[in-house]
Amino acid sequence: MRIRLSAWCALPLLLQSAEGPQVFAIRNARIVPVSRAPIEKGTVVIRDGLIDAVGANIDPPADAWVIEGAGLTVYPGLIDALSTWGIPAAAPVRSSTTATPAAPAISGPEDRPSNTSYLKAADQIVATDRSIEAARDAGFTTAITFPTANIFAGHGAIFNLAGERPGGMIVSPSAGMYIAIRTGAPGIGSRTFPGSLMGVIAYIRQIYLDADHYKLANEIYATHPQGLQRPAYDRTLAAVLESPRILLPASRAVEVDRMVRFGQELKRSTLLYGGAEAWRSAELLRQAKTPVLVSLKWPERLPTADPEAPDSLRVLEMRDKAPSTPGVLAKAQVKFAFYSDGIANPKDVAKAVKKAIDAGLAQVDAVRAMTLSAAEIYNVADRLGSIDKGKIANLVVTEGDLFQDRTKVKYVFVDGAKYEPQPDSGSARKAVEGTQ
Amino acid sequence: MRIYLSLAAAALLPVSIFAAAPIVIRNAVVLTVTKGTIRNGSVLVRDGKIAEVGTNVNAPAGATVIDASGQYIMPGIIDCHSHIIAEAINEGTVSVSSMVGIGDVLNPEDIAIYRALAGGVTTANILHGSANSIGGKCVVVKMRWGKSASELLFEGAMPGIKFALGENPKRRGLTAPFGAAPSPTPARYPATRMGVESVIRGAFNDAKVYQAAWKEYEAKKRRGEIAIPPARDLKLEPLVEVLEGKRLVHAHCYRQDEILMLLHVADDYGFHIQTLQHVLEGYKVAKEIAAHGTGASTFSDWWAYKVEAYDAIPYNAALMMRKGVLVSLNSDDAELMRHLNTEAAKVMKYGDVTETEALSTITINPAKQLRIDNRVGSIEVGKDADLAIYDAHPLSTFAKVTKVLIDGQVYFDRDKDVAERPEKEKVKQMLITKAAEEKKKSAPQGAGRRPGQ
Amino acid sequence: MRAAALLLMAAGLAKAADNDSFLLKGATIHTMAGKDIVNGAILVRNGKIAGVGQDLNAPAGVKVIDASGMQVYPGMIDSGTTVGLTEISGVRETSDVRELGKFNPQLRASVAVNPESEHIPVTRANGITAVVALPDGLGLAGQASLIHLDGWTTDEMEVKRSAAMHLRMPTIGGTRQRGEGGGDSEDPASPSRLTFEQRRQAYEKEMLELNNFFEDAKRYAQAKKSGSPNFRADLKLEAMLPVITRTEPLLITAERERAIRDALQFAGKQNIRMILCDPKEAYKMLDEIKKSGVPVVLGPTLALPLTEDDFYDQPFTTPSQLYKAGIPFAFASFSNQFSRDLPYQAAAAVPFGLPKEEAMKAVTINAAQIWGVASQMGSIEEGKVADLMVTDGDPLEIQTHVKQVFIQGKSVNLDDKQKRLYEKYEKRQ
Repeated sequence: MRIRLSAWCALPLLLQSAEGPQVFAIRNARIVPVSRAPIEKGTVVIRDGLIDAVGANIDPPADAWVIEGAGLTVYPGLIDALSTWGIPAAAPVRSSTTATPAAPAISGPEDRPSNTSYLKAADQIVATDRSIEAARDAGFTTAITFPTANIFAGHGAIFNLAGERPGGMIVSPSAGMYIAIRTGAPGIGSRTFPGSLMGVIAYIRQIYLDADHYKLANEIYATHPQGLQRPAYDRTLAAVLESPRILLPASRAVEVDRMVRFGQELKRSTLLYGGAEAWRSAELLRQAKTPVLVSLKWPERLPTADPEAPDSLRVLEMRDKAPSTPGVLAKAQVKFAFYSDGIANPKDVAKAVKKAIDAGLAQVDAVRAMTLSAAEIYNVADRLGSIDKGKIANLVVTEGDLFQDRTKVKYVFVDGAKYEPQPDSGSARKAVEGTQ
Repeated sequence: MRIYLSLAAAALLPVSIFAAAPIVIRNAVVLTVTKGTIRNGSVLVRDGKIAEVGTNVNAPAGATVIDASGQYIMPGIIDCHSHIIAEAINEGTVSVSSMVGIGDVLNPEDIAIYRALAGGVTTANILHGSANSIGGKCVVVKMRWGKSASELLFEGAMPGIKFALGENPKRRGLTAPFGAAPSPTPARYPATRMGVESVIRGAFNDAKVYQAAWKEYEAKKRRGEIAIPPARDLKLEPLVEVLEGKRLVHAHCYRQDEILMLLHVADDYGFHIQTLQHVLEGYKVAKEIAAHGTGASTFSDWWAYKVEAYDAIPYNAALMMRKGVLVSLNSDDAELMRHLNTEAAKVMKYGDVTETEALSTITINPAKQLRIDNRVGSIEVGKDADLAIYDAHPLSTFAKVTKVLIDGQVYFDRDKDVAERPEKEKVKQMLITKAAEEKKKSAPQGAGRRPGQ
Repeated sequence: MRAAALLLMAAGLAKAADNDSFLLKGATIHTMAGKDIVNGAILVRNGKIAGVGQDLNAPAGVKVIDASGMQVYPGMIDSGTTVGLTEISGVRETSDVRELGKFNPQLRASVAVNPESEHIPVTRANGITAVVALPDGLGLAGQASLIHLDGWTTDEMEVKRSAAMHLRMPTIGGTRQRGEGGGDSEDPASPSRLTFEQRRQAYEKEMLELNNFFEDAKRYAQAKKSGSPNFRADLKLEAMLPVITRTEPLLITAERERAIRDALQFAGKQNIRMILCDPKEAYKMLDEIKKSGVPVVLGPTLALPLTEDDFYDQPFTTPSQLYKAGIPFAFASFSNQFSRDLPYQAAAAVPFGLPKEEAMKAVTINAAQIWGVASQMGSIEEGKVADLMVTDGDPLEIQTHVKQVFIQGKSVNLDDKQKRLYEKYEKRQ
């Protein structure tokens, strides 16, 4: 039996009880488990942070706090499949015109430029970061947050959006290796390796060769050190080897094509993030079995653009068709999930998803893309992403279907703890503290 | 272990590109380049290849007939030096960037492909830039507009690598002029032509050491000894391929002294320079170039844009040809690429070569330089059906391209291009209007932090 | 001894006296002023064309040049070059095109032309006999000078020291491509970082400065004319007087539609004569340009379309569109190394609708008209200066060789550095 600790809510004027209810039952609600067909009128029971029971004919247990679910719909909590939530924003890097301390000369991949593969988002999450609460109010219960500051940026973490200490929030501390295509460094521009797209790709390729060699060399050396040169210690390679999958950026069709093949060449399980033109490469993605994280920030003409200089036909078509990507991927049976990509206002996240629905994505597929598909992509579907007995009790309870114009989030459950978003301020009233 | 990377082989097999019906092009002047000129000739194209050439060609059932009366057919133009299609051109941060490859960054949607087609070009050698003494890997592509990146690759063409001599690879070694503020980045070696030679020799030295390390490892394995293999080095592997004759070297150069330097280096290390690019002073050392067996790919009449181009002469191509060098003309420019046919005419003006010799500089000669002459470069039965059709003699300034075929399929048709213009404009206007209306309806998205910021 | 020297000197003088006089006969003469004359003759006396026709006789002492089977054209005129101003474009020290600052009307290009530039013999070897040396830069860049490509000094080369005042029309946003490198894209002040609104404001400011400068010039003109006691001579404003009084045209570089429109409106507002320079998007506003009566100097035909969606042949078609709209135009290479290819720029427009004769006119008589020297050059007519080229074919075709070039009646040496290097290395065993 787990020890329950009580804690103080940071917000003023809120009632606290030292020990709130740990057992909830949402009764007579419409339930969308996602893993199977919806239950028009049923009950979900939460106990000790896990889903205890879900079905049409279930009587709430005697010790359960009953929530009347008539007129409400229960979904699995939403998952942001590639997030910045939870990690405080880094101070902006100022490019200085005065002499900066000389950067160490980079002569090639061997100097491991722009490589912090050993960083773990799990170590950087701050439980009180404001983004967590704001996300939760919009119905999100889980975020998969990555460090993103370098080419090899580090390991992502899957964590639930509530808790006192980050450790307790973590679902998985090693969700994947975030790789960004970026050239140049502040103040130096593209004058340091890698200074071009070609250079970045060659660098990534070399790192993975080096990692495989590192593994082999250490294995051989471990069994038989005498007479052999010892392999040098390299934390960046060790970190790369540890990661179960890699994330590569791809928005344009050309990039999707390029990165699918690159992932295959590297012989690593690959996810693509971006996806705006992925609709054009659906067949390739299906054959390669490469999942796509689709950004909800649909490409738009900049408001600061010259009004008399229209975009090219190619760009206009790309913008017009981007929201149809999820629908096309769904039909082609390509696994995909959504991510918020910096959209701050919760209403706009739902709006962005609605745009995809209007462009041909089925409602049921939209919900899946924000729940079970994300869990499957990150290989935690056995514990997250749908309303099934034994899974983590992450739920969002709404008035109205998700992603429609007038949807209201009534309750959010994270690890079995209940939260109620305030209608105007969006701040949560925490009824009970979670477990440790 | 084979330390041999083949980009072309790594790509997925292209979708069948030979699916089109046979085509007969009739009643044209056929400039075969290698087998004379056929007045009132026809060409039969089938399964992507040239099936028949002559005055009496029978059209098989179901063939499309193109009436080319009054028109001229020549082999599709081959541009031996281009940077189109590449989303990056230089990795100029280090002096030896042989680990990078143009093949990784091809953008098949580059409009320059279509515009090159409209200028009669069907094949191009896409090169890394000239910022490094030893640059990145190169690929040969066909202008298959509409296909994917891997489908652009010229199947079976040998891979290449770019070297650069002279002013360009030195540029980052130059310290700021007197009185100017110092550069924020440290200067990159080399700053002199002497240094350029040193960089190349040093790199091949390292390549030989790498080659030896692998041989030693393989020997150990054969003896049953426990050994850790050397770490694979993507920078040195292409250089080993050069040493083994498996990768073609294309060297950008200008002055005669640097040309000779490179030929000596190649001899010392036992490798071959496949082509000298630009080679504007090639005429001064044509003898040595011919003796080494290297080809020269040059401009027709560019000069005086750099100090090393000041002694360039428009007679360069003709003079080198007369001294036994295999000469091609290239563009190194998306605009010049559109009229290589008239550039070839300049070799006639300056140097009095024949029409066939002039046409050779943009067809069979570059094909030989790229070792793809078994497939392209002339109109011969069995070769790829890569053809350019002009409405006047291609060496005339008054000629324009009417159609271009690649692998027996029409990839450019001027009449079709012109006919489709109103519809394209309509579609564009419709999308602009649609986007403007949608913008009015929707509220702006919030500005949160995106990944990567 | 002295007598022999005197004799030699006399002989030399005699030679010099008829150095620029000759009768050229047997050729087809393309006068650019009416029909071609087959088996025609041109009589040149003292550098000027004294007669053109079929049966001309050489006066005593005038040498006869047999040009049987050849073609004769007026020498070509390149309406915008850096010939003589820039030797090697990659080396700053060799270039005198771009001065600092935005208001430099007082600069005159001919002052900076190097008569010894290698580009001069190279260019005239292909039949270009006169070029407009063009200063460039922001705003009012200076006065373009029309020069012959022959002469010991620039004084001898000058045809018109101030052929036009060059203005680069202010535009919204950076028109120039940035160089490579992430360095300047990280600079918060670089043009790509500014919003459209900010760039528009910067443009408004520039337009205001430009209009104010013209106002200053007008007030200066008035003060000078009225003999005001407060009048002080000012080098820059003095240079504006011919423009203000419409004696000298303003050559306005405006590439895109918005800038072209600005240029036409500006000229109207300031009541000055103008020539439109390098209007790449002229094809979008043919009626407006036609109505304004403004002539055009076109840049190279062999250029890439401006945007991704533009027709692949738009730059090839623009000259014929101007011709069909009745807008007079001439060609410019805007270059030094490519000035010799001027006829091929003109030729490139022919397959896309420009009649051959019009292409030839755009590098001869039309250019002369636009630069206000049509009474002196541009066609083979009596009274005009004898700037001629003799070819073995159509100069618009590349394979044609230029056999002889006359500038002001003198046969110029067609040798150049390139020919000398060719001959030298052809001999190498």
